[in-house]
Amino acid sequence: MATFFLRAEGLTKIYPDGTVALSGVDLTVVAGEVLGLLGENGAGKTTLTKILSGLLPPTAGRLRTPQGPVRFHSPKDALRLGIGMVHQHFALVDTFNALENVALGLGGVSFPALRRKLEELIEKTGLQVPLDVPVEKLAVGERQRVEILKVLARDVNLLILDEPTSVLTPVETADLFRFLQNLREQGKAVIFITHKLKEALSITDRIVVLRRGKVAGEVETKNTTAGELARLMVGTEIELRGRPVELAVEHTVQTGLSAVRTAEPVLVVKDLRVRSDTGELAVRDLSFAVHPGEIFGIAGVEGNGQTELVEAICGLRRVEAGRIILRGENVVGRSPPELYRLGLAHIPEDRWKYGLILSFTVAENAILGVQRERGFHLAGMLRARAVRNHAAKLIQEFNIQTAGLSASAKSLSGGNQQKLIVGRELAKDPEVIVAAQPTRGLDIGAAQFIRDLLLRLRDEGRAILLVSADLDEVLALSDRVAFMYEGTFTGVARPAELTPEEIGLLMGGVKAGTK
Amino acid sequence: MTWTWRGLRPILESILAGIIGLAAGALIMWGWGYAPWPAYVALFKESFGSGYGLASALANATPLILTALTFAMGARAGLFIIGAEGMMYMGAMGAIALSLLRLPAGLHTLLALLCAAAAGILWGLVPAVLRAFRGVHEVISTIMFNWLSHFLAFYLVANVLVDPVRAEKTLSVAKTSRLPLLMRGTDLSLGMVVAAGLAFLAYVFLWHTVAGYEIRAAGANPHAARYGGVSPQKTVLLVFALGGAMAGLAGAVEVMGRPPTYAVYSGLTNISGFGFDGIGVAMIGRIHPLGIIPAAIFYGGLQAGARLMQMEAGVPFEMVRAVQGVIVLALALPELTRIFRVFRQRRKGGEA
Repeated sequence: MATFFLRAEGLTKIYPDGTVALSGVDLTVVAGEVLGLLGENGAGKTTLTKILSGLLPPTAGRLRTPQGPVRFHSPKDALRLGIGMVHQHFALVDTFNALENVALGLGGVSFPALRRKLEELIEKTGLQVPLDVPVEKLAVGERQRVEILKVLARDVNLLILDEPTSVLTPVETADLFRFLQNLREQGKAVIFITHKLKEALSITDRIVVLRRGKVAGEVETKNTTAGELARLMVGTEIELRGRPVELAVEHTVQTGLSAVRTAEPVLVVKDLRVRSDTGELAVRDLSFAVHPGEIFGIAGVEGNGQTELVEAICGLRRVEAGRIILRGENVVGRSPPELYRLGLAHIPEDRWKYGLILSFTVAENAILGVQRERGFHLAGMLRARAVRNHAAKLIQEFNIQTAGLSASAKSLSGGNQQKLIVGRELAKDPEVIVAAQPTRGLDIGAAQFIRDLLLRLRDEGRAILLVSADLDEVLALSDRVAFMYEGTFTGVARPAELTPEEIGLLMGGVKAGTK
Repeated sequence: MTWTWRGLRPILESILAGIIGLAAGALIMWGWGYAPWPAYVALFKESFGSGYGLASALANATPLILTALTFAMGARAGLFIIGAEGMMYMGAMGAIALSLLRLPAGLHTLLALLCAAAAGILWGLVPAVLRAFRGVHEVISTIMFNWLSHFLAFYLVANVLVDPVRAEKTLSVAKTSRLPLLMRGTDLSLGMVVAAGLAFLAYVFLWHTVAGYEIRAAGANPHAARYGGVSPQKTVLLVFALGGAMAGLAGAVEVMGRPPTYAVYSGLTNISGFGFDGIGVAMIGRIHPLGIIPAAIFYGGLQAGARLMQMEAGVPFEMVRAVQGVIVLALALPELTRIFRVFRQRRKGGEA
């Protein structure tokens, strides 16, 4: 590699809360090349690109150009050196057209001159953007092109794209790839972040795989295979808190599987189709069943429809087609309290959005969802003592650290907030538990508490649907695990029967049996 | 749920805000060459220093408590109901219309109050339904309904309920349906007891019933409320109905309990503005039903004391209004900032 454009040396990033997002990452960006950055959730892809584009300062390590070391204080510094990033979430003014949106970031340009420049860019790169249509009237793929144009208009030589295909249709993706090839031919550098193996293989020249904040491997695209990439992405050893996963798997074989064979499923999802907030199909004709006494895990990179699936099952999102059968009854269209009465508990993925009312007291939060149950009210009047007793019981049983029943939920630590939610849901004595990202953001002690609890509930014969982006966790806890990719399962298997390579392939969108 | 020291914080904040407001008002007067001290003495001596003054402060406060409750109920549910003004006009019309009937005293009063409440509820029905089922923002719809109400009331006052002898006002409310005065020679009627009692009931409702819990949940975090089985549609309808009833009653107490005319003047001069002032009162009272009572009395006292502040201290009327505006603004500021923070957070999906 004779001429590099940008080089990162020993980049380390430790967030204020102690999370090590990157440790000692080296990376070289070469002009005229598309560099793939591959890794699962939390591997450090986003942190790395934020450092490269000047959004975050590294804790240690440095960036270097052929002219010498550089230090970015803001994205402006990076742009000055020709480094621009297109984020997953667009920052466009809906009522402005493309021309106006581009002008917004430049400041003090003449519109005719800018229009000429953009038309030239469009012709040179093949990036089709209607300049005069308000952005709100454009399709998602077109909006993304406006974002790219915004960056290109600033004479960028290194374009960083963060999961650009996650919002695109296949046709739009093909257009994007053609455009990236044009850029490459013009001698520009591109960093393409993805978790999709097929895309990484089809568009990049070189691939760097990140795993847990470190470079797990660097390969020439033409010399690699999906299998090798998968292996690099997942690693050979899967551990949960230093404990090899096999332990948990053994445990599973003893207690879980016999029950699976005998009992009828208590939660059956059949040909389920659900749309996301933006109207795209998020869950595509999905079917599966969860039996009593088993943990059915759903693994996969976030944003592949898991959130919408859970919301649909728990009565929080409209079902477009298909059935959800809870203990023999089709429950499509039922409200959360009706589902609770049929034996469903829901530990939501976002504790601040669904799980808690932060300005309410601990006691008030302890009855959320059961406030209309007998015992907590008398002819519509809340029975303050019963509510407080209930909350006190949860605090004691789940060892929730709080200043008192009247303390606001806001004042609890994340772990204690989660314990309060989990306690409240388990107090419903559910047959079926839907746990979405139940340990996210928790410290090790609290996370382990929740995991042990899930295993115990499983052993008691309850059915658990566990959705987690934490691959190690979902593999260690699940009796069966499904891999979700773009709204469907790429495969369902017992964790013990999977090789790391297979796991990586399934996560990356390669269907079981098609490799 | 219980009173703790944290419950006192808003009160301390409000007292501090009041002091800042008085100081700012004093500064304004001093800057224009008026003596602040005698002016304030006159203001508060009139409104809170004499039995008569206190009675008129309380009388002024009566409809304000009710319209403030309308806004506060809405705000607790995350709604920005600006429609108390129009609902109140309809309530006043309803009370007058019912008093055209001949009924025994007592029963007549009760039915007139109920009719006014029903008129208020009815006036909120369309905005409520539009909000609940079509997502039409209540600020827009209630402001539009205020204007509809304004011109409808104009028409009713001038053409339908008009006093055949004195065309500048409506028929007076029948003697049998008037609210008895609590103090001879003043405007203070039983309406104050009704208003304060409803404020207390609103407090009990919001903090000690399941429905109130659900309303507050919907206001604090609509996502979590839905997760907890609270229907957003039912919440909107319920809150609009309760708010409409309160505002309708505000119109009723103003015509049924205000001597000497017991009527509405053409131009609606004696019933207009209470709906909007109620928003300010609700803010001063920290959108808490129990906070609204002292807030409304304070606000009513400012109105009652304005006259003496003008006469005794020689402060011109415009200056009196400016100083009072500064005081009210300072008092409303803590709640205003909180409300806007919450609303902004809610739009982002989470909560404060």
